[in-house]
Amino acid sequence: MAGPAPGPTATPPGIGARLGRLGIMLFPALLLFLVAFGPLVTPFSATAFDPAATLRPPGPTYLLGTDEFGRDLFSRIVAGAQPTLLPALASTFIGILFGTATGLAAGFLGGRRDEVIMRAMDVLLSFPALILAMLIIATLGANMVTLVFAIGFVFWPRSARLIRSAAMELARHEFVDAARARGEGTAYIMFREILPNMWGIIVVDFTLRFASAVLLVASLSYLGIGVSPPTPAWGLLVKEGQPLLQLAPWVVIFPCIVIAVVSVGSVMFGEVIRRRLTLPDRRILA
Amino acid sequence: MVNFVVRRLAFMVVILVGVSFLTFLIVNVLPGDVATTILGDFASPEQVEALRERLDLDRPVLQRYAEWAAGMVGGDFGVSLKSNQPIGPILWNRLANSLVLAAMGMAVAIPIGIALGVVTAVHRDSLLDRAITATVVVIFALPEYVTGLALIIVFSLEWNLLPASSLVLPGQSLWANPMTLILPVAVVALGMLAYLCQVTRASMIAALNSGYVRTAVLKGLTRRRIVVTHALRNAMIPTLAEIGLGFGYSLGGLVVIETVFSYPGIGQFLVQSIQNRDIPGLQAGVLVVAAAYGIGNLVADVGSLALNPRLRS
Repeated sequence: MAGPAPGPTATPPGIGARLGRLGIMLFPALLLFLVAFGPLVTPFSATAFDPAATLRPPGPTYLLGTDEFGRDLFSRIVAGAQPTLLPALASTFIGILFGTATGLAAGFLGGRRDEVIMRAMDVLLSFPALILAMLIIATLGANMVTLVFAIGFVFWPRSARLIRSAAMELARHEFVDAARARGEGTAYIMFREILPNMWGIIVVDFTLRFASAVLLVASLSYLGIGVSPPTPAWGLLVKEGQPLLQLAPWVVIFPCIVIAVVSVGSVMFGEVIRRRLTLPDRRILA
Repeated sequence: MVNFVVRRLAFMVVILVGVSFLTFLIVNVLPGDVATTILGDFASPEQVEALRERLDLDRPVLQRYAEWAAGMVGGDFGVSLKSNQPIGPILWNRLANSLVLAAMGMAVAIPIGIALGVVTAVHRDSLLDRAITATVVVIFALPEYVTGLALIIVFSLEWNLLPASSLVLPGQSLWANPMTLILPVAVVALGMLAYLCQVTRASMIAALNSGYVRTAVLKGLTRRRIVVTHALRNAMIPTLAEIGLGFGYSLGGLVVIETVFSYPGIGQFLVQSIQNRDIPGLQAGVLVVAAAYGIGNLVADVGSLALNPRLRS
């Protein structure tokens, strides 16, 4: 019998795979363009009603059709990149910032302090991500700032756990002993010796975390939590369109396709970065 | 082993106390007055004062927390602000409905997910592996409502085979119309099996590359025996832990899935509590979900311990 192949069987990627990877690398540029210039390139207003053009199917004038108020769906989707992707980006940044600081401190300081910090993180980890974010937004009030804060808060313990284990590993290296022997202080060793060695992990954590932030923002806005009409956030477009599913399926289908492409694209971009920086697989849900 | 279970249970109690305190704290201490949040900015000072009194907001936080927590332990979940009914009975009914959804989804997802994971690991890098892995990655990356709406469009609107909503009328049982359960269960199962397939594939590949599998190959055992008894049994240990995690994860996903299909579960209960600004309902719901999440993880930990003789001592 042909037993399972021992060891990795890496074959050089073909031209198709390379083109695919190039496309994935260009993906963030596309998202940035949409966020930066989206509202400037929309052919119609994303929010103004047009009673003369309600529920038009996709066609030459209204590329993706219009909704029940006559708003052009294409314009709404393009304009919706900002309220969907900016909160995702900002909250990832906040979560990683706090997670890195906490994880670094816990992993490097160790002992009692590590124990206390990580038990507190465990409490935060006992909520499913979406539900913790819902709880925070519901109590602090639904707006963009609480949305960003809530998702950042959800990411904080998840990122802290990852960075902590990296910091513990790095703290064992000789260059840390050397810095101690030179008489460097704790803060110097943490930020000038250990942190610079973790950028790879932090970048990978950021890209994969961003993908899950997009998913969370899209889910929360679909539930109508954190953003309110007439903001054209993509999840909200789907929520508002769902009652019209039978009558005008395009108002649901196109936002869904865009959400699908951006979610899958972000995950794949994160994976490409992870492979580039050759880090081991990590638990997907962690 | 008994020792471990006891320690793990004690840890869970500690976590639940922390979770309940955090839930209580978020609602009661953070900036902004709860009464004002509930009533909105246009409420008169008298209305706010009346609600503050009803919620006992003027007494010390710790005292209120102690009473609330004691009530929860004794099964008293408080009174809904929306309906003025006790929260407990509604919540248990919703939780039971959600557990039905999660359990049926997992019953479909576990065998299929593990089977796909084994097949892709054994035929690693083949066309079949690439096709399955790519599909699974895409499904896993999609929000649940995109999958759910895609199924609705195909099975309800195009082919008219299955109902698009699981709305249960008051007084009606969830089982009055079992056809309505199929689509939500399918969405739960798809997400779970996508995840389990990836986890099983990774742990199977690790197992197939191990020394004991090489020994088994050199001993001339049959391929089937190597894959099933040698590799899969070991690969199941990490997978089982992931099933527990996946169960908790599906509780989060249920919020979205139940909203898509108007399914009367605990996720929909949470969303409705938020929409109605029913803070006691929200607190009780979140705590119950966190407890279910914790129990899922506990069962997974104990399960992997039972499977792994090395950890038993």
